[in-house]
Amino acid sequence: MPDQPTPRDAVVVGGNRIPFGRANGAYAAASNQAMLTAALDGLVARFGLAGERMGEVAAGAVLKHSRDFNLTREAVLGSALDPTTPAYDLQQACGTGLETVIQVANKITLGQIEAGIAGGVDSASDAPIAVGEGLRKALLKAGAAKTPLDRVKALAGIRPGDLAPETPRNAEVRTGLSMGEHQARTAKEWGITREAQDELAAASHHNLAAAWDAGFFDDLATGFLRLSRDEGLRPDTSVEKLATLSPVFGKGEGATMTAGNSTPLSDGAATVLLSSREWAQERHLPVLARFVDAEVAAVDYVSGDEGLLMAPAYAVPRLLARQGMSLQDFDHYEIHEAFASTVLATLAAWESEEFARDRLGLDAPLGSIDRSRLNVHGSSLAAGHPFAATGGRIVATLAKLLHEKGPGSRGLVSICAAGGQGVVAILEGC
Amino acid sequence: MTDVDVRLLDGPPRIPALLARAVVTSRGRTGADGALPSHRLVLPGVEQDLARLRDYCEVTGDVLGDTVPATWLPVLTFPLQVQLMADRSFPFPMVGMVHVANTMTLHRPVRAAETLVLSSWAENVRPHRRGSTVDLCGEVRVGDEVVWEGRSTYLARTSSPQEATSVGQGGSDGGAAPEVAGAEAEDRGLPTTEMARWRLPAGLGRRYAAVSGDANPIHLTGLTAKALGFPRAIAHGMWTHARVLAAARSRVPEVATVEVQFVKPVLLPSTVVLRGELQATAAGSRSPTVTGAGCT
Repeated sequence: MPDQPTPRDAVVVGGNRIPFGRANGAYAAASNQAMLTAALDGLVARFGLAGERMGEVAAGAVLKHSRDFNLTREAVLGSALDPTTPAYDLQQACGTGLETVIQVANKITLGQIEAGIAGGVDSASDAPIAVGEGLRKALLKAGAAKTPLDRVKALAGIRPGDLAPETPRNAEVRTGLSMGEHQARTAKEWGITREAQDELAAASHHNLAAAWDAGFFDDLATGFLRLSRDEGLRPDTSVEKLATLSPVFGKGEGATMTAGNSTPLSDGAATVLLSSREWAQERHLPVLARFVDAEVAAVDYVSGDEGLLMAPAYAVPRLLARQGMSLQDFDHYEIHEAFASTVLATLAAWESEEFARDRLGLDAPLGSIDRSRLNVHGSSLAAGHPFAATGGRIVATLAKLLHEKGPGSRGLVSICAAGGQGVVAILEGC
Repeated sequence: MTDVDVRLLDGPPRIPALLARAVVTSRGRTGADGALPSHRLVLPGVEQDLARLRDYCEVTGDVLGDTVPATWLPVLTFPLQVQLMADRSFPFPMVGMVHVANTMTLHRPVRAAETLVLSSWAENVRPHRRGSTVDLCGEVRVGDEVVWEGRSTYLARTSSPQEATSVGQGGSDGGAAPEVAGAEAEDRGLPTTEMARWRLPAGLGRRYAAVSGDANPIHLTGLTAKALGFPRAIAHGMWTHARVLAAARSRVPEVATVEVQFVKPVLLPSTVVLRGELQATAAGSRSPTVTGAGCT
């Protein structure tokens, strides 16, 4: 029997994304395949991978046309990578991008591949529109009909109401509530104030703008079409300006969630290059950070037992326990800003004695974090959130931050996702 | 080039009006003996329409990227060509001219976000066994830098009833494609490897016309094509050109000179086969080139 491969380090070499666009904005004409190919080709150009066969490319999209079933493979074939590079699509809602990083890193760790690319893309502008269920079933029946008469009968069953198309909605299948409506409940439960949400949103814009100004994204992003910075970025926003917006989620007095402290629908793509240390060294490529570990949790939001976007509050304690770390052991925290209140509710849960005892079964809460280490270069509220692209954006940003911080520095990534799931991971600076 | 008569345009020429003018003024043109218009049409400040570019990419089997397909640039210069040919000083009647060959050079990748300066002029009247050919040249600049050059060779046929089976109208190509059947390809020493098989729908000409602006009736419907001597509507030659390059995109160098000859019309609808071979160049295996392409 051959030797089993010894687990080894998977490292982040770098990343590339295209600036994120607002829905129906700069990328209105770009499909998922167009954006993913652009992000991939930018990565290939940055690290001299043209003509190279990678171990694999894993990526995905949340809003996907049925014709794009092989989206990532098609993007690879349209890219400068060697066409013999395998690829697959993966989908875990907003956790997609981070989950692809986990997949690729695990394969590297096990010695199955030497290097791979993880990523994701989403377009809210070029969203798929499907025929309604009535029409779809009638067409399927007509297609399966054996005689012309049966076909006519099947088609005659179509009612005018069946002709209305079905557009994707940002709503949970099982509850019919939009993600914002779900989060509004959570925000209320945890008593997250409007002011705290607006402060977080303003900080996100200011931090992201400062990072662009400082050239932080020069080697993390490649301009695409007419965009050279994130389109939704508002450098001049302020808590005062944000305070003027009317709530859009939740009802009545206690409603706190506005368009300003919720992420806008966005278009964009992001990729991350991961490899073994040897692979990177052979090519004289940088090693930014080591992928340490990851955890995925899910919550029962359907019964109302837990908030839709609270799964990371469970995933992180499990991950910390496995790694023997505490919440305070990190130099950087990257908590995806689906809504400002999501970040704040998650932090509140970690600080809560009650949550620790009743929900996590722990004697003591995880405690609070040094807020100056949170999303230091902004996050989704300012950059936008093309669902599957967010993981790649965050991992590349964090890996570079940790590399700047120095060897042994640690970073925590936390991403909530539709379906009541949460994907979290730890990186260590190299 | 300081002595060139440059005429600046303040907007893209409108093709339908030019076609009408060309038809009305087709009689009394001087033919091969007359001089070509010596002026150059220049259209500065052209912002590329991304939605139209996306549609162009889709119809030619490509994907919108940050840089544009080389074949997109002659789509932009095409209205200038039409204006030159519709001009009364152009010696040949535009109606009946056939696009027989095309050459283009991309000097560097052109970004979709770049603002372009387009120009077009006519030159090089040569005798041909079936009449005369004339080159309609195009050039695309970004600022002062020439990024693309193209040459479309059109055949203006002298009256010859026996050969009057294909009649192009407008400044467009005669819809012919580099057509070589498998056995024929072998005979002519061209590659026989089947790279792709495309089912071209009946409405392809209309779709390409909508994005390219080349609404030559020979491409639109069977009826209008019949009126001009074709059994059915035929594909745009420049569509076949673009489709072949899109199929090889990412395998061929972006910066290149491409020469194409349109040999026979591709009737619509039909199924065509791309034959070709991707060969490594001497410089290394990274930049193969298509050595031959044919459609049957």
